[in-house]
This record gives sequence, C-alpha cells and structure tokens, in this order.
Amino acid sequence: MELAQQLVNGLTLGSLYALIAVGYTVVYGIIQLINFAHGEIFMVGAFGALSTALLFFRSYVDEGQVLPFWALPVLILGAVAASVAIAVLMERIAYRPLRNAPRLAPLITAIGISVFLQEAVRLLYGKIPGFPDAKQKVPFPKIAVVSGDAWTPFGLTIQRSTIFTVGALVICAAGLFYFVSRTKTGRAMQAVSQDPDTARLMGINVDRIIVVAFVIGATLAAIAGIAQGLQVTNVNFKMGFLAGLKAFTAAVLGGIGNVWGAVLGGLTLGIVEALAIGFIPGTFGGSSWKDVWAFAILILVLVFRPQGLLGAKVVDRA
Amino acid sequence: MPQRSVVAVGASLLVASLALTGCGTRGGDDGGDTGGGSGDSKVAKIGVIAPLSGDLAALGKGIEHSVDLAIKQANESNAIPGWKLELAAEDDQATPDVGKNAATKLASDKEVVGVVGTLNSSVAQSVQPVLAAANITQVSPANTNPSLTQGADFATAPKRAYPTYFRTCTTDSIQGPFAARYLFEKAGIKEVATVHDKKTYGQGLVDAFTKEYTKLGGKVVSAQTINPDDDKYDAVISKIKPSNPKAVYYGGEFPQAGPFSQQMKAAGLNVPLMGGDGIFSGEYVKLAGSTATGDLATSVGAPTDQLESAKSFVSAYDAAKYSEPYEAYGAYAYDAANAIINALKTSLKDADSAEAARQATVQAMSSVSFDGVTGKVAFDEYGDTTSRVLTVYQVKDGAWAPVNTEEFK
Amino acid sequence: MSTNTALPDVLDDSDVSRRDRLREQHGAKAPLLALAGGVLLLVSGLLSWSYDDRILGDISIRFYPAGIQIYAMVLGLVAVVLGVLLRRRPGWLNPGRGLAAVGWGSLVFVVVALVTIARQAGGSININEGGWVALVGALLVFAAGFVAQRFELNVRTWPRLPGWAEILVIVVLMAVLLFTTAYTLGLDDSWTFVCLLVTLLSVAIALVGSGFGEYVGFVGGNNRRVLLLAAFLVAFLFPFTQDGSDANMSIATQILIFAATALGLNIVVGLAGLLDLGYIAFLGTGAYVGAMLSQSTFATIGWKPPFLVVMLCGMAVASTFGLIIGSPTLRVSGDYLAIVTLGFGEIFRLAMFNLDGTNGPDLTNGPNGIPAIPDLNFFGWDFGKVHTVAGIPLGRFSNYYFLLLLLIAFVILVFSRLNDSRIGRGWVAIREDERAAEAMGVNVFGLKLLAFAIGAALAGLAGTIKAHQDTSVTPDQYIFLESAFLLAAVVLGGMGTVAGVLVGATILKLLPEKLRDAADYRLLLFGLLLVIMMRFRPEGLVASKRRQLEFHEDDEELVQLAQTEHLEEAK
Repeated sequence: MELAQQLVNGLTLGSLYALIAVGYTVVYGIIQLINFAHGEIFMVGAFGALSTALLFFRSYVDEGQVLPFWALPVLILGAVAASVAIAVLMERIAYRPLRNAPRLAPLITAIGISVFLQEAVRLLYGKIPGFPDAKQKVPFPKIAVVSGDAWTPFGLTIQRSTIFTVGALVICAAGLFYFVSRTKTGRAMQAVSQDPDTARLMGINVDRIIVVAFVIGATLAAIAGIAQGLQVTNVNFKMGFLAGLKAFTAAVLGGIGNVWGAVLGGLTLGIVEALAIGFIPGTFGGSSWKDVWAFAILILVLVFRPQGLLGAKVVDRA
Repeated sequence: MPQRSVVAVGASLLVASLALTGCGTRGGDDGGDTGGGSGDSKVAKIGVIAPLSGDLAALGKGIEHSVDLAIKQANESNAIPGWKLELAAEDDQATPDVGKNAATKLASDKEVVGVVGTLNSSVAQSVQPVLAAANITQVSPANTNPSLTQGADFATAPKRAYPTYFRTCTTDSIQGPFAARYLFEKAGIKEVATVHDKKTYGQGLVDAFTKEYTKLGGKVVSAQTINPDDDKYDAVISKIKPSNPKAVYYGGEFPQAGPFSQQMKAAGLNVPLMGGDGIFSGEYVKLAGSTATGDLATSVGAPTDQLESAKSFVSAYDAAKYSEPYEAYGAYAYDAANAIINALKTSLKDADSAEAARQATVQAMSSVSFDGVTGKVAFDEYGDTTSRVLTVYQVKDGAWAPVNTEEFK
Repeated sequence: MSTNTALPDVLDDSDVSRRDRLREQHGAKAPLLALAGGVLLLVSGLLSWSYDDRILGDISIRFYPAGIQIYAMVLGLVAVVLGVLLRRRPGWLNPGRGLAAVGWGSLVFVVVALVTIARQAGGSININEGGWVALVGALLVFAAGFVAQRFELNVRTWPRLPGWAEILVIVVLMAVLLFTTAYTLGLDDSWTFVCLLVTLLSVAIALVGSGFGEYVGFVGGNNRRVLLLAAFLVAFLFPFTQDGSDANMSIATQILIFAATALGLNIVVGLAGLLDLGYIAFLGTGAYVGAMLSQSTFATIGWKPPFLVVMLCGMAVASTFGLIIGSPTLRVSGDYLAIVTLGFGEIFRLAMFNLDGTNGPDLTNGPNGIPAIPDLNFFGWDFGKVHTVAGIPLGRFSNYYFLLLLLIAFVILVFSRLNDSRIGRGWVAIREDERAAEAMGVNVFGLKLLAFAIGAALAGLAGTIKAHQDTSVTPDQYIFLESAFLLAAVVLGGMGTVAGVLVGATILKLLPEKLRDAADYRLLLFGLLLVIMMRFRPEGLVASKRRQLEFHEDDEELVQLAQTEHLEEAK
C-alpha cells in the first residue's frame, strides 16, 4: 500500500519535472544551449497565473474563496503569456548576440539571467500596486474541481492537483507530438536540430525556429507552474532553481535533445525520488537524502551513459 | 572660428553661473559643525543586527522598529540624563558571514554600547565572539538554542559561553516541554508524530518536546524531517499518515509550517499541527489557508492584550506608524532594548565615554529587573531570561487566539 | 589656431564611418574642448555644489574642496593633461581614447552627484553653482572625447627611463594605490562611494586606454620583482592605515579568502578550461576539516592536531575530493562537466546538512554547523587579541589579514609557477584543443586531474583558515550561488590572469559591503552585470591579450598588439 502511495507521489512529481524538462531538451536540441534560466521561466509562469487571478478574480482571492472552474483556462493563458514573453525577450536580448561566442559565455549569461529574474520577482513584484509582497511565499488561489478534497480509492490518497498535473502532461505531450511530426514548423525544427546550416540553405528561418523552441518550452513550463501552485498552494521566487535543476537532470536522464526522453526521464526521476524517501532504509533514507540520490543519478548518467536512456543524440561537446 | 565660440560659450557660462551664485546663495556659512552632536548631551548607540532584507525581513524589520521605539521613548523621558541614545541598525541577511561583518562594524563604532540581535541562532554563533571581544552587551530577542548561553554540553555540564550574551526569549528546552505537557495533559492526545526542518531551532524544539512527551507516557509514532528548501511534503506526509497520529508537532518556522499544514490536511490527515513561536505569525495562517483552524502554537509571555505593559507597547507601536508590524519578536526586542537601557542607567551615569561604559554595562545587566511586555525581564547566571510564562495559541477564524497561559515549572 | 586643423593621416581610408568623419572635421577642436572642460571641472571643485551640507559629505563650502569636489578636480586634471597631450601628440600615447573615457566618466559622475543632491534635498533648486559648472565641464570633456582623434600606438617609441626612475614610477603608483584604497574603504556614504567609484574607474580606463596602462605594464615587465614586492608591501602596510578599526579589515580578510579560492578556480577554469560550478565545495571541505580538527567543543572528531597539520589535512582532503570530482572528466567535458560539478557541489552541501547523527553519522552537526571555533595561536601570538605595532593597534582581523596575505602570496606563487611551466602550457593546450593536445603527446586526463587536485588543495587551504576566522562553519555558506560568485570573479576579472581575479574578487566582495543602502538589490545587479559583461566584454576586465583575441578575432589592432607583446616576451 505504501509502495502504491509513493508511486502516486512519484508520478505527480515526475509529471512536473517532465513538463519543465521538455523546455531544456527542445532548446538544447536546436542550439546546444543549456538554458540554465529555464527554471525561472517556470517560476514566472506560476507568478503569471497568480497575477491573472489577482487581476480578474480579485474578489474571490480577497475573501479566500475558491475560484470557479472556468477561471482555470484564463489562469493558464495568463501564465503562458508571462512565461512566453520573458522567454522570447531572454532569447532576443541575451542569447542571440552570443550565438557564435565561446561556450562559456552563454552559460554564464544564463546564470546571470536566472539570478536576475529571481531577484526581479522578489523585489519588484510587491511594488506593483495591488500585488502582494513576493519576498516570502505567496498563497496561490484555489480553483474549483482541480483543488479540494483528495480522492481516496482503495485507501490511496490521490490529490486532485495530481490528476491535473498528469492530465496536463498527457495533453501537452500529445500536442507536442502532433506539432513536431505533423506541422511544417515542427518538421523545420527537426531539420534545424539535425543540421542548422543545411536547414538554412533549404530556406528555413533558423532564428524563427529557435524562438519557436523557446516558446514551446515556456508554454509547458507555465503549465507546470500552475500545477505546482495547485499542488503546494503557494508560490515563491526561488521555486524555479531546484525544480529547474531537477528537470535538467530529468532531461539528461532521458537523453537531452529528445522530447520523449524528457518525459520518460522526468517520470523516472520523480518515481526514484519518491521511492528513495519511502524505501531506502537506515539513516541514509528519508527526505533529507532524496536530492542527494537525484544528483547522484545525474552524475552517474552523465558519466556512464551521457546519451541518456533513450540515447537520441551522441553528445560530444567540448 | 568655431573654437573661439566654444571658449566664449564656456566662459560666459562660467561667468553666468558665478553670477548666479552671487545672487542665490544661502545666508552665510555659519561653520560646518551643526551636524555633529550638540555640546551638552553625549551619544550612546544601541545596535541592531537582524535580517533587514531577504526571506525573514518581516521579522527583522519588526525587531528594528521595536528597538527604535524603545530608544525614542527613553530619549523622550530623558531616562539617562546627559546622554542621548541612538539606533544603529545593521542587516545580517540571515547569514553568518554578513552578520559577522555587521558586528565588526558596530564593534568598531566607539559609541555603541549594546546590541539587540540576532534573529537566527546560526548568525548568533558568529556574532557572539566579535561582540564579546569588544565587551559589547548583546541581547537576543529570538535565539532559542540552549548552547548559545550554556555551552556545547548544555544538557550535562552547562557552562556560560560568553559573558556578554543575554536573551529575552526562552530556550527550546522550555518551550518544547511546555507544548508536550499541553498536548498530553490538557488536550489528552497520547500519540503524535514529530517533524522538524533540521535547523538549530526546529530540531532543538522537537528534541526537547519528545523527551518530555515520552516521559509523560505519550508515544511518538513517527519522527520525520523535511528539507526547508522543499515546497512539497507529500512523500513525508505519506509516511506519517499510516501511523495515525492524533497531532503533529512541528519544529521550524512558518514559511514551511504553513504549507505543511495545508498539504497535510489536503492529504486527509486531519489532525492539528502544533509548533513553537516560529510559526506564531499571521503569515502562517495565510499560508496554511482555511484548514489551519485548530492548529496550535506556543509563545513566550502572556498574550499582549492581558498585560498592561503590553497594551501600551502595542498602542505606542501603532502610534509610531512604522511601515511593518512588530511581528513575532517585536515585543522581545522591545524588552531587550529596555533591558540594555536599564543597564545603561547605572553604567553610563559616571562614564566619560560610551566606550568606557561597555564593561560596566555588561555587569549591570545581571541586576536588571523590570516588568516588560513579555512579562518579568531579568537574567539568570547564564544570561537566559528568568521569565517562564508561556501561552498556547490556537487558530480560530483565521487568526491566533490565546487558549492557555501558564508558568512553566 | 588654424595650424592644427590639418587632416590627420591616421584615419583608416577603407571605412570612414559617420563618426570618423565627425572626428576628421572637428577633431582639431578636441584639445581645446578638453582643456576648457577640464578647467571648468577644476573650478567647480572650488565652488559649492549643494545648498544642504548633509549630502554627499559636506560639499556646500567654497574654496575648500572635499569629497566629490575633489573627485571633480581629479577628473578635471586628467582631462587637462590629456588635452595638452592630445595637442602635442606624442607617438606612444593615444590621449583621444583616454578622453573618451574621462568624458563618459565625468558625465556619469556629475549626473549621479546632481541627481543625488536633488533627490536627497528635495529638488534641483538645492544644487549650487558648482554642480552646474561641473555639468558644463563634463559635457565639454565628453564632447572632446567624442570628437578626439585616435592615434595608433607605436610601442617601439616608449621612452626608456633609467632603472631607478622606473622603480620610482612603481613606488609612486603603489603609494597612490594604498592611499586610494584606504580612502575608498573609509567612505561610509553609499552615494559618495558610487561617485568615487565612477571617478576611479574612468580615470583608470582613461589611463589604460590612452596607453599609460601599456606603459606601466612595460615598466612593470622590466622590473617584475620590484613590482611584486611593492604590491605586497602595500598590501602589508594596509592595516596600518586603518587606525585600529577592524571594520574594513574584516571585509579585507573575506576578500583575500575569496580571492585565494577564486585563484584556485582560475587554474581549473582559466588555465585548463574545465568549467566547475561547484567549486565552493572545496572551500567548504577545507573549512569543515579545519572546524572538525579544531579545539571547538562542538567538534565531532576527538583528534586536535596543531594548525599546521590541520592545514595539510585540509589540503589533502580537499584535493582528494578534487580528484573524485575531476575523475568524470575522463568521460565528460564542456557543459556536461559543468553540470556534474554542480551536482557534486550540491551533494557536498546536502551531505554537510544531513550528517548530524539522525541522518547518517554525526560529523557536521547538520544545519547548525560547528560553532565556537577558537582563534589561532602561533607560538604565543594570539590571533584573537589586539597587538600594538609601532603605536598602531592591530585587531583580530588584521592578524588574520597578515596570515591570509601569506596564503595568497603562496597561491599566486603556485599559480604563476604552474602557468609558466610545462604543466601550464599543457593545460592551455587542452583548453584550446583537447584532441590536438592529445595527439601532441600531452597527458590530457592526468593534467585535468592535476588541475582539479591543485585547485582544490588551494581552496581547501584557504578553508582551514576561514573556519578559524569565521569562528563557525555552517552548510548554508556553501550554496550554489557562492560557486556562481566565484566563477563570476574569475570571469569578471579575466580568465587566466592573477590580477584579473584579484580585481574581480575585490569588486564582488567589496561592493555589497559598501553599498549597504542598496543591499537588497545587490543580487539583481549581480545578475545584470553577468549578462552585460558576457555581451560586451566577455574576456573580463583585466584580460590577457591572447584571451581577448579569442573573443574578438576580427580586431586587427588587437592582433598586432598581441603579437608585439608576444615578441617582447620572447626577447
């Protein structure tokens, strides 16, 4: 019974990781850039949803009431808008000028952006009239149907937010599959990731494709942001750092550059973490060591199977 | 000639601006020393070391304002004739490194005689030696780790660590057992689960709680820890839930405790969560949401609306219109500042300079005794407060309400 | 006056852009503009700037310059000198570029000063004539810098002075450095500090840009030993300028520890080209070893050896960790290596956080760390006590400062010896092209491991001292952000150079302490700074010419300079 429960917990966690991991993998697949600031895009998404709730459903939030279900799509739209805007700006201002620079430059830029976005939200969010101070955790509104009492079949506890997260992952994955394999832009993306120069010769606008990759990653991260907000009922400015790192681990685990790898890697990592909390005996078990196990897996995968579980790309980046 | 025109423009501008000066200056330069202290009253400073920025800024600002209030009142009533008190607040960003720099800065300011701070026990550890070396009295409103006053072996062989260190709050070794007795005797709960965040404060609290609770005959059915960086606790909650505790005792602070309570109840574990003064904050209720009703917290002193001195503190604080509320530690900070001011009354009386009075102030601290906001303020031989009155609060209608005030024996 | 309107022949005829045409037409006016602006700035220093005497120090008094009034005069003086030089056009200087820097600097400086006065006093009405004069002066200098012609430097015509005179130049420079540092650190007001910083920065850039920097480098190169000795002498004398106050010494010790660690990282990143995002763990290892083997009653290991042994242990343990963390380099490189090291760094922090007896063995007391570490005591010299030398009291941090100075001297020695050795060239070869290096017979894996081991050992050594200096060791001092700061110090200063890392470390540690008013915004600015640096000057503030070339391949002037430098070195 506890095993099943921890599996459910792991699945929830894993779906979240998977949604974020797709962003790392899509961008990496095209320009071989580890967008270290992607975790922050996830955080911005969560704050975007919160802001939307504060702007359009103020009366509910002030009285601590549950938002109606039809607020959910509005919140998703708000979150996606915020994330995509920041991601596109980031690409345009910070990454594009560095496209031919030595590899160290974009990585350090990414760290800089990550710190900058966290601090910007921490310091400036509360300065917008009507918005709460974001220096600490900010309560996230509840939404009818997706938050509320847990569902308990066979003595298991399944949160409604879990169902939302897993459902979101399934829908997003299906959408992504359709987009990548059936649409013209999607196929152009594949082409660019295989050979950008030839793709350019074929008349593909590589700059545009790169922006599309950032937009896809940001959209999924924004949805993950809402899922996280619903699960833990609060958001804070540093939620992106650890989640981003874990999601990156997931992306590498599955094989970076491969969208399905990201999904698989995310789910695997989530389940491993949950099982580590529940089932590693002795003093090295429990929640205190779960991050250590996650990082250990990351290192082992990178050292012994850098192409990841699905092995889409043989990586040799010097 | 273009050059010439440039020169002309420059020269005319120069002349014009000089002319302007001639017309528009202030009336006479009456010497530059107006900014300094006016002749007859000397200045002594009380420092504050607290997190004024970052995560815990809300608590730190409350401390700063409360000390400011105490200083203003002392100056108004001319508590120390011939001396003017000033506030010197330094940010420690809740990190030991920065805290140490702040302490060094205060220690090298010759006018500083006492310091109120710090908020975090970990910061206190690196601030203590710096202030002790300079003989500056330090009174913490919030450090609850017993080792700060009684040394590493506080349980077996207590030994005063730094003669300059005092505190106005009680230690974990009192608050934990107080909560244990309440749960076991008053609330009749015989089975609890404990959770802590592994930090000095939380772990100390849970350790002291567990000891007393099992001594009374209660049973700790599950003991877990969380990682304070985490946002999600469902894995931990899943481990607690099968053991069916009747309450959860949480050692830690509100940023984690609030969401923990919320997630615990959402997962179907509908039992009250109890914690120490670290969760006794309005923010806790906000983060824990509507399901927080019934959660418990202990805090030092009687409730502020029952003591005369406390009521006047609250109204004075409101009247001063500070931008942040006094929060959980404002009252202790106010008492801490007043303890220093009381000591200064004896030590500064015949002192030539603030620096010369440092040693005397430390000595005068041991005889300080007055009725403060949180009850009687006096210090024992280790520098701990002698006040042992504690109150249990419970969340009712979205706010903390006192349910039981008692002296711990 | 029309004599110098003749067209200079230095312009490149291939691409005469609008700016170049502007220079061509009006370049001749630049010296006069600079002179006029400089004089105005000089005069402004003698005038009152503000109606209110509490802002930016007291700048309301006439004919008795203080604070920013002096800075304005310094800027003015530099502008005048450059203006005169521009007119005389010596072959070995490029005053035009210097003027541009001074122009920008004065403009920013005056604007910051005026805005501060206006904001703090409530309106621009409170700005007195001095401020306006300075503004006009700054605008003139700015214009001069904008239109001034650039000359090509002819390195060969550098005048050679007799040996004693060159040494004198160095001594004077160092004395100025010591005085400026002491003065800068003495400032308490954030905005005055900003003004001073702008002044110093623009003067420095002006000197470097106009060729003085090259010249000093040239002189320094001729007298390398003297330069090093003088630098250390200045550093050694620094505590004596503090008049017994420990506030700045506390910051200085932190800068030194940070710089020593960053220099260790520089071996790994700057020389060997291996990106390490978890480097703070090595400093942490050293600190924890130092704490666990100290006399602290909280120490978890019973063995309490003398400090020299502790230092060796710290180095040994840290370099062992270095070898472990370095071992994946056999298989991974580039971005992946960065992530592996990041993972190791986090594992280190989490392990220190957890090893408290409940989760794993009790080694570190978990999040509470190991407090109450006593001060060092070398043969009766107690580091915790105040010692009076030559009538000047030297406090606790001064004592540690001297020890750390020795440490950093050692680190610099190790760094520069390695850099000049076969090993160092091997590292550079690996950094430039791993496969080629391997083909040439360089032991790639061995050298990579060595880089990690040596870098880690240096950081570990610094850590053991840090433990005693801080008196407590806790895991939250070793978070990822600290690693990012270290990397930023290396990148900001200039990869692979000693001076660069020292500059970077100083900037990153000093600024937040001095800008406490803006303490809340320091991380925001830090993030922004990283992005901007990578965009506009990725090679760092003090970059080696070779490194600079990697980032600006199409800059022909730079290629020439680098070649000349190379030739000089070869001689």
